[in-house]
Amino acid sequence: MVDKDELEFIKILVPVAGTTADEGAIELACRLCKSKNNRCEIFAVHVIPVERSLPLDAEDTSKIDAAENILNNIESIGQKQGCPIETEMLQARDIGSTIIDEAKKRGVDLILMGVSYKQHFGQFCLGDVIPYVLENAPCRVLIDHQLQSEL
Amino acid sequence: MKVVIMGCGRVGAQLAILLDKENHKVTTLDINVDSFRRLPPEFKGKALLGNGLDENILKKAGIEEADAFIAVTQGDNRNIMAAQIAKHIFNVPKVICRIYDPLRRDLYSMLGLDALSPTTIFAQMLKEKLES
Amino acid sequence: MYIIIVGGGRLGYYLARTLLDEKHEVLIIEKDAATVQTITSEMGSISIKGDGCETAVLAEAGTNRADIFISVTGEDEDNLVACQVAKYKFNVPRTIARVRNPKHEIIFKKLGIDVTVSSTAIILEYIKHEVPTNPLTHLLSIEEKGVEIVEIKIQPDSKTVGTAIKDITLPPESILALIIHRDSKPSVPTPATILQAEDQIIAVTSPDTEDLLRTALTGS
Repeated sequence: MVDKDELEFIKILVPVAGTTADEGAIELACRLCKSKNNRCEIFAVHVIPVERSLPLDAEDTSKIDAAENILNNIESIGQKQGCPIETEMLQARDIGSTIIDEAKKRGVDLILMGVSYKQHFGQFCLGDVIPYVLENAPCRVLIDHQLQSEL
Repeated sequence: MKVVIMGCGRVGAQLAILLDKENHKVTTLDINVDSFRRLPPEFKGKALLGNGLDENILKKAGIEEADAFIAVTQGDNRNIMAAQIAKHIFNVPKVICRIYDPLRRDLYSMLGLDALSPTTIFAQMLKEKLES
Repeated sequence: MYIIIVGGGRLGYYLARTLLDEKHEVLIIEKDAATVQTITSEMGSISIKGDGCETAVLAEAGTNRADIFISVTGEDEDNLVACQVAKYKFNVPRTIARVRNPKHEIIFKKLGIDVTVSSTAIILEYIKHEVPTNPLTHLLSIEEKGVEIVEIKIQPDSKTVGTAIKDITLPPESILALIIHRDSKPSVPTPATILQAEDQIIAVTSPDTEDLLRTALTGS
């Protein structure tokens, strides 16, 4: 039996990339939050990958604008669901390790990630980020995999 | 003509045999003694075991009097380095090297090396054959 | 500074560690995936997998904005090509190559590599310094100026012991900069300074005239 407290998710980190899968993950996070009488804290982070030909603090306004749109959309979903969501934008070389660092920094007890069905060279593929997070997460991880028919 | 060929693989050995038949003075170099099996018994040139990046071996191969130096080992970088040694240190009049990687070939052509990329040449040949 | 290191072996690894401690931005390019993973898990995302001689890999690494490019793989030819691609394709201001065969140092410099490091040559120079019969040691060479700084030891049986510096004909372009006496006291040599046994002379010279300088100062 799992200790009941271990499944009490209070601080939830939702990494978002700007896909439809994010919205599903955020809605799921909001439901978890409401089931705890809104006691949860939800953090949505978007990581802007910076290629090495640029310094880490280089400002690409188009990417920053896109990131702001993504996070605004997330906030509005939260408002609709009646859950406040704290959003943050980060710049990094590597997305996976940045998510892990953020989870550790904020001391979250759940990372919740949305994933849509993807193929790479004709085979089902999870990408780089999710396996990295699963391997290195300091807390529980929930992967919300969207139905193929939704695509 | 005195020619030093570094690398006695299929291409190196074939070239050595062709030049030898035309009575050029050929020296082939290889780090693997087995490679010299590709040279027929009637081959009149020299076969020398050793590393073509080593100045002493190159001198032994007669690079100082050579009219031409050809680098056709399996390693692009070995060929590039050997060709540059032949060209810039020993001032061999004609230096040719093989570089499989087309991008690296382009860069070193720009830097003045006479370099051939079998990748580009063969792909081009296949395309021409398709179109004929 | 942004420093790119090709080769994540022991040398590249500790180089990266030290440079990171000094707050430089560091990237290691390494062919072996397992090595990349080890580096990443220990030092964070400062490593990419790839061939450091390939233009595409160097472009991804952001070589265009690198201040220093260091190639320390185990193969001389790979280090040469990586540095040349960095220098001529990406205009990196300073390239440093590790050299296994000390004879390759001259070749590398002739082919445009700014700095070469040969552990063989370094150890050899150190051994020469320890051997009393070898009075001249190279301390530093300033390549772009064609100048080197050397140390010359005056042996007790040297013919020049007791001679004043003004009576010694030095080769052109050679300057005596400092004399360290047996009692470890340094002084700036003047024409009147008299050479004594076991003096260590620090001099500026050129590679072509160092033999003449040694002969002039040691009398042999």
